[in-house]
Amino acid sequence: MNVRLRRLCGALAVAALVFLPVLAAASVSSIDDDQGTPGYCTDGSGVTVVVDASALDGPVIVRCAPDGDAGSGLEALKDAGFQIEGTQRFGEGFICRIENQPSATQRLELDGDDGYRESCLDTPPTAASWSYWHADDGGSWEYSQYGASTATVTPGGFEGWAFSLNQPTGSPASPGVAPVRPDVGPPEDRGSDTGPAGGGAGSGGGTGGGASSGGRAGNDDARDLPPPRPRASAGPTSAPTSAPTSAPTADVTVTGGEDQPDLDAASVSDSNPAAPIAAGAAVIVLGVLGAVAARRRRVQRSA
Amino acid sequence: MARQAYPLPRDLHPAAWWAWALGLAVAASRTTNPWLLLTIVAVAGYVVVARRSDAPWALSFRLYLWLGALIVITRVVFRIVFGGAEGSTVLFTLPEIPLPEVAAGIRLLGAVSAESVLAGLYDGLRLATMVVCLGAANALANPKRLLRSMPSALYEVGAAVVVALSFFPQLSESLVRVRRARRLRGDVGKGVRAPRSLVIPVLEDALDRSLQLAASMDSRGYGRAGGLDRRTRATTGTLLVAGLVGMCVGVYATLDTLTPRYLAAPMLVVGLVLAGTGFVIAGRRVQRTRYRPDHWHAAEVAVAACGLAVASVLVAVGEGASAATLVPAVVSATWPPLTWAPLLGVLIGTLPAWVSPPPRPTHVSADADRMPAGAIA
Repeated sequence: MNVRLRRLCGALAVAALVFLPVLAAASVSSIDDDQGTPGYCTDGSGVTVVVDASALDGPVIVRCAPDGDAGSGLEALKDAGFQIEGTQRFGEGFICRIENQPSATQRLELDGDDGYRESCLDTPPTAASWSYWHADDGGSWEYSQYGASTATVTPGGFEGWAFSLNQPTGSPASPGVAPVRPDVGPPEDRGSDTGPAGGGAGSGGGTGGGASSGGRAGNDDARDLPPPRPRASAGPTSAPTSAPTSAPTADVTVTGGEDQPDLDAASVSDSNPAAPIAAGAAVIVLGVLGAVAARRRRVQRSA
Repeated sequence: MARQAYPLPRDLHPAAWWAWALGLAVAASRTTNPWLLLTIVAVAGYVVVARRSDAPWALSFRLYLWLGALIVITRVVFRIVFGGAEGSTVLFTLPEIPLPEVAAGIRLLGAVSAESVLAGLYDGLRLATMVVCLGAANALANPKRLLRSMPSALYEVGAAVVVALSFFPQLSESLVRVRRARRLRGDVGKGVRAPRSLVIPVLEDALDRSLQLAASMDSRGYGRAGGLDRRTRATTGTLLVAGLVGMCVGVYATLDTLTPRYLAAPMLVVGLVLAGTGFVIAGRRVQRTRYRPDHWHAAEVAVAACGLAVASVLVAVGEGASAATLVPAVVSATWPPLTWAPLLGVLIGTLPAWVSPPPRPTHVSADADRMPAGAIA
């Protein structure tokens, strides 16, 4: 057997070994129901994570990572159930997409570059990127001085992610939801606030420690969430008592993110299952053809 | 030989091979999809095997493959060493090395997930594929004929470019020669000291031959200013260098989507204008004739068009609706998706294996190779 051919077979075997564990892994859904609960955290132990994609005409999603001792902001984001994507070059050191926002096909009206599209190959431009914020409960949003994997979260506090589009350099947009946990009394009081008394009780509130038991109530979750408070302050420096003149959040619809499409499912849906097989076949056929040609050349030369 | 009818064996114009290979490299730069990248490597490899000559530089392709493998391995190892715990599919857990507070954000070892390894693999494969494409161009195109077919205005910079371009092929040829010589002396070259006894003769040989090439080019008038006065020389030199830098920035900005757009097309145009002016001014005064110039026939057009087609299909797909499949997200460890258009586009790149003429047979080109390295003009 040809040396080159044997080497090729070896390389293919190694590639198969590398890719095999990949096959075994199951696909995940976009918002992971096993991770976190929809809506604000109800007690002081969890961390509320706000993801504001309104600059992309996307949703504002509020979810709770029940374990506030989870550690880094990145872990809190994941523990709350968000599906994130880093850049190809730096991995999750730089968050490029949250819940497929901005998607690979979405045209962003970037100043100076209409029709910019985020491929997440490299670091996104400053004018179209996620900004990362912290806040204490009832406080104001503060731009994080640390990266998400370095910053430690405060139990009971808030983690904010806001997409800034065409904001001036150095002052990205803060999340459009005030970092205030709604007053949730004991469960029996809360029934009078929201419409459906029986069925809805599980989702928005529940007890924080109850993990995901209430998270799967269905489509009504979005309606059951308590309404967001108006934003307390516009920027990290202004006093929290300032009047909410700009951007009142009464019209901001906050969801728990249950109806977000799955990132993997979205990318698989426009692919053809036969194409990867054809690609693999093409690689093997070209390898065999090359081995035959090299062998013929060697025979010719030695003759 | 059976396949003598048509096309007759001849060496293709080196610029055609470079156009084809750069087209493949541009395509590879646009994707991290391992299916596409592996197909590009297979396409480049097959065309090299089918159409390379027996010239010394044609042996260098294997070195580029090894270099590509080294790049992939390095990227994966780096992902494992510095925080490989992205994603949920943990493959194995290494003991994590605790670091002081100052080094917050850096994590050494710890859990290694399939997603991290895959992300490193895709990332490394992309760079490795581009390197392999350049290796294919080096293996297929004759660097000495490439220098010959340069416009005469570029002679001043051309010598430096060709010495730089032909250094790696010469290194690989030196490696082959030194190894063969050692084997003939009965030195099998095993053990710790083997690399050291290989590196020094190889480097010395490559340096000697580069100097020889430079000397022979000098004796043929390359890099000479001729009868030009100092001011004209400074003008043309400035124009050419500024033009080339402008073109480099413009091409980079065109291919890299992050760079501001005003650096893309405007810089490219400015660079082209500057370089063109320099060409005209310099070319007016440089008078050299060319012995047996390479011609640009239908086969050359076809080969260059194949490279252009591969690049433009990938760029078009990247702008289209299925752009996400070119850069598959490694959110969870699944098979990367693929669509037909980019795959078929990449496979266009194999056509040169059939549409280009076969290289000249060994006994003819071997004579040319034995001539001193200065046999270029």
